[in-house]
Amino acid sequence: MKTPAFEVHMPKTLDDALETAKHLHDGGHDFDWISGGTDLIPNYKWGINSKPHVISISGVSELKGISATRIGAMVRLQDIVESTVAHPLIVEAAGTIASVMIRRSGTLGGNLCLDTRCFWLNQSETWRKSIDYCHKCDEGTGADCRVIPNQNELCVATYQGDLAPALMCLDARIHLASHRGTRSMLLEDFFQEDGITRNVLETGEIVTHIQLPENSANFVGSYQKLRLREAWDFPEGGVAFSVGISDDGTVSTINMASTGFESIPRKHIELIETLDKGPNWALEAERLGAELKRAVRPVLNTWFPPAYRKKMAPVLARRAMEETSKRVTSG
Amino acid sequence: MPEDKKEIVGYRQQPGKLDFTRPGSGGSSPNSEKRDPSMIPQSQGGELDQPWGPHRHDDLVTGRVIGKRTPLIDSRWKVTGQAVYGDDVRLPGEIIGRLVRSDRHYAKVLSIDMTDVESIPGVLATATGIDAPSAFGVLPVTKDEHAMALEKVRHIGDIVACVAAEDEETARLAAAAVRIEYQDLEPIFDMRDGLKDSPDPIHDRGRYHIGESNVQKRVFQRFGRISDLKNSVASYENEWTFKGVNHGFTEPHAVVAHWDPRGRLTLYTPQQVPHYVHRALADVLDIPMHQINVHRTYVGGGFGGKSDPFPHEMCAAILARKSGRPVRITFDREEVFWTNRGRHPSRITMAIHADKEGRFSGIETDALIDGGGFASFGHVTTYYNGVLHTAPYEIGAFHYTGARVWTNKPASGAMRGHGAVNSRCAVEVGIDHISEELGVDPIDLRLANLLPPHSATITGFRVTSIGMRECLERVRKESGWDKKFRKMPLGKGIGVGCGFFISGSGLPIHWDPNKFPHATVHLKIDMDGGVTIHTGAADIGQGSDTVVGQAVAEVLGLPMDMIRIRSKESDTSPVDLGSYSSRVTFMNANAAVSAAMEVRSELIEAASSITGLEASCLVLGDRRIFNKKDPAVGVSYLQALHKAQEDRGALLASGSYRTPPMGKMHKGAAAGLAPAYSFSAYVAEVDVDIETGRIKVEKVWAAHDCGKALNPLSVEGQIIGSCHMGLGQVISEEMKYGRTGNLLNPDLLGYKIPTVHEMPEVVPIIVESNDPEGPFGAKEAGEGPLLPILPAVCNAVYDAIGVRTNELPLTPDRLYRSIEKACKQRGIKDPRDLPNPSLEQTSLSDILIRRAKDHAKRDRERRLNPNPDAYYNGQLFNRHNTGPPEENDSDWTVQVLPDQEYLENPKLAGSAWLHKERRHMEGVE
Repeated sequence: MKTPAFEVHMPKTLDDALETAKHLHDGGHDFDWISGGTDLIPNYKWGINSKPHVISISGVSELKGISATRIGAMVRLQDIVESTVAHPLIVEAAGTIASVMIRRSGTLGGNLCLDTRCFWLNQSETWRKSIDYCHKCDEGTGADCRVIPNQNELCVATYQGDLAPALMCLDARIHLASHRGTRSMLLEDFFQEDGITRNVLETGEIVTHIQLPENSANFVGSYQKLRLREAWDFPEGGVAFSVGISDDGTVSTINMASTGFESIPRKHIELIETLDKGPNWALEAERLGAELKRAVRPVLNTWFPPAYRKKMAPVLARRAMEETSKRVTSG
Repeated sequence: MPEDKKEIVGYRQQPGKLDFTRPGSGGSSPNSEKRDPSMIPQSQGGELDQPWGPHRHDDLVTGRVIGKRTPLIDSRWKVTGQAVYGDDVRLPGEIIGRLVRSDRHYAKVLSIDMTDVESIPGVLATATGIDAPSAFGVLPVTKDEHAMALEKVRHIGDIVACVAAEDEETARLAAAAVRIEYQDLEPIFDMRDGLKDSPDPIHDRGRYHIGESNVQKRVFQRFGRISDLKNSVASYENEWTFKGVNHGFTEPHAVVAHWDPRGRLTLYTPQQVPHYVHRALADVLDIPMHQINVHRTYVGGGFGGKSDPFPHEMCAAILARKSGRPVRITFDREEVFWTNRGRHPSRITMAIHADKEGRFSGIETDALIDGGGFASFGHVTTYYNGVLHTAPYEIGAFHYTGARVWTNKPASGAMRGHGAVNSRCAVEVGIDHISEELGVDPIDLRLANLLPPHSATITGFRVTSIGMRECLERVRKESGWDKKFRKMPLGKGIGVGCGFFISGSGLPIHWDPNKFPHATVHLKIDMDGGVTIHTGAADIGQGSDTVVGQAVAEVLGLPMDMIRIRSKESDTSPVDLGSYSSRVTFMNANAAVSAAMEVRSELIEAASSITGLEASCLVLGDRRIFNKKDPAVGVSYLQALHKAQEDRGALLASGSYRTPPMGKMHKGAAAGLAPAYSFSAYVAEVDVDIETGRIKVEKVWAAHDCGKALNPLSVEGQIIGSCHMGLGQVISEEMKYGRTGNLLNPDLLGYKIPTVHEMPEVVPIIVESNDPEGPFGAKEAGEGPLLPILPAVCNAVYDAIGVRTNELPLTPDRLYRSIEKACKQRGIKDPRDLPNPSLEQTSLSDILIRRAKDHAKRDRERRLNPNPDAYYNGQLFNRHNTGPPEENDSDWTVQVLPDQEYLENPKLAGSAWLHKERRHMEGVE
């Protein structure tokens, strides 16, 4: 495989970075942000939406730093795994990503903005030509969607980041910046249900950090990941669950979020609202799992067949709840 | 610093006054070590225990390296990054070649337009099929490949054209600019469709074409007492599906072709079988063989996947000839999958029957295998799927029907455990099922049905040494089997599986009426004392260089640092048939031993003339030749060598190996014939997540009978590596084809090779059955150890959760489907409520245990007897105690063509026989 040639821009400050982006955009140049590159570069090698310019943010110090409530976009995944201050649920989820070597490159921001994946997409150009291309990346070919034929409106490529559901369960806010200014939102509002658009980021806009609520230390949770191998593999389904414990020991919040089932990670707010926050919340694991199974809609574009992934959703949910319950009890 | 070394300082050579050089005996240590009696066999007066009797090589043992853990001699090159693999070759003026591959499943090539390519600056050569129209293929009977497509492309990724340019970027650009016009043909992906007549068969075999179908090869074999099958009391029958798997070697294919200024071609390629590439190049390029030098680079893993002559090797040579520059082609991983030659996707119907005495009254196998677009090794694979499960058990009858079909997918071929793996898995799972039906322990059942040493299998293979019983006994003991089997909680299980594999093939692929040897080794020793070994055997990481070095070092009593291997170039190496069918240690080390024996007698003669002692009194030790009875009397190796060199210079010796005549005469009798066979037994312990279907293999006890571990380090490495590779096929690896027939996972993220997390602890157990013909008693250890892991895991899964499988890989989704089915059958909602399988032993157990004990005694006697009575498969059934059964038993069938009765109701692969070959059709000449 040969990486197509591109020009790298190496800004030193956030302002520099945003200015570079604006400059490229104004000049009509396509570009991508690059942090660890573990997602972007393989895609480039496959000829998937490669751009002539990339702006590396690895030198931007404002995007670094990790504390109990704030994690910079440029924080390496392995640094989260080894962190003593990050929330245990984030550490747990980060520890399931890829492999140590990839985690030493990959970053929080990159994992959240992970490109969606699909068997018909993550292939070489010759390969994609053999199926008359894919509409996510081969613009101008008039290609159809190969997963659900006869439609080229919505892309159903699967979002397979591990951190998003864990962060959603901690009520994390994601902070963005562009030359127009900054904005922030709850993480669940960051994602947009389409495998091509993926999220709300506009051209030239960048994720700067994740902010957790002050009381996030009171959250206890668990992340359960479905995959064939215990390293390298993306989640074929992932469920995070958490409870917020008040000072008096009662449960004040319950969260559940999933990843790997659809083109976005999803926080299951409506499902959770049906759950009684009383002391017996964990006993409803079976019911909640069954409802999650109904809620998720996997398609045939990752390694496991969708029927199996759907059937595993309740198992993951129940295990996440049981594990959380165990962790609550053990304090 | 030792005294001796100090003396060397300021040392000047004074010819005629001092020894030729220091250290006095050659090698890095100046002192000759004493003979270690624990390394010398009992038969030679040493203390090395020989429970399996003496060996013909005992008198050659010097106790130096054989049987010692020896690091591979090329390992330091590899770990320091100095090994030159295919893509590491750099030649002056080198340019980059790129292959243009088909994006169609199956199509006629109407035209190839290079106009746009030629206008790209930096493009130096282009080529298409018409530049090299000669066909080639690894087997002379099925040459069906071309350098580039001639008329048709047969799968996505098939090569249509190639280009060479100054750099990789230009080459890729140029390849993309080739305009090809196709006319699509109807592709087939399902191997069952290959059995049918087709308007456009994927290949045309002319008069020998089987009907108008895509059947490439079919086999029918029926041996033994077929009529007795009706008397069975327990039977297993199941239809298995095995997905195709790829070797997954680290190094993608890479080749450099260079026509030197004299007009000779040197091809640098990581090949397992350089000799066949040599032949194919001569055919395809239309030049004599002597004009070609095949240079085998370091091989970054082969496992059978680098043993065909390949189109890309031809393309590199063609582009280099056209451009006048060295051309390098390196594959992307995707191209490796398109080249494939991995294990055949298979549909196998396996039936095993047992009678009331717990004997296997018969095995009936029907195997349909999916060959993909080309023949490759498929002719042989079709036989192997049947004949390689005629041992280690004695069977009353054997009925095999097999067929290999072409489909529009990358070609299947030879892969570690060639042809034996899938059907072996089905056999061993079947035996597990039968033992449950009979109410006996599966190890007891196996131990009571083993062929003895020095026996003939039902189809006439000559089995010499057999350590199957010891393998089973060792894994039983070390795994704590009796305390665990059917006694662990739901979700935890233990299972056993066995294996049987060839140690070299009896007939070489290029069978020669000239009686060429299978392996030849040349030695050259000059006054420095170091031994240069010239061999054509391809070291593919299995350690063949080391083992041939060990064999020579052992016989000559030298340390490994005095051995150097030249095995890379066909210009300097004697022809070797290559690294396939686990033949190298057996054949090449035998050839090396006979070459070394020649040198040894010259050294002894020289020592005899110096010391005046009788040659028969002299033995070799560490760099010394001395009186057997008084080790103080003798000469150093170098003294003897220099004496032997008088008036002639360097000593040269050549040794070779050829298999003895073996086997029967029926059609296909040669397939699976080997000078020796290896045996293995594994026990696997698993933990099954019954809610997700995920299998975690916790521990494997892996016993393998390799005859004699010449290098235990390497044998253990092979056992552990085999476990890993087999584990992939049983739990995760598969080439996944989507609904459009496209290979969905041609990359190492989607192709799920087990990671370190999936890898269980493996306890390698070496059993040494002392093969009479193997070098120092050795047999193969490279492929056989892969076989048992598959059934051991499947059987362990059954022990854990009571669910039998018939589909591999047993990925969580597949196992979960079986779990759901089991729940449904029992009306259970939660899989955690499934019943845990248990074993109620019947009275048959005692019969089997008694029989196994008798057989153990029989086997011990036979293996120590230098002339044991002939033993033919079938004697267990008391039908014929002397002579071959086909001569003594009127009910004994030997049939290699189907009869009308069979054809009225054939099995799946057997239905290939419904077609007539074109030459037998009416009106066809």
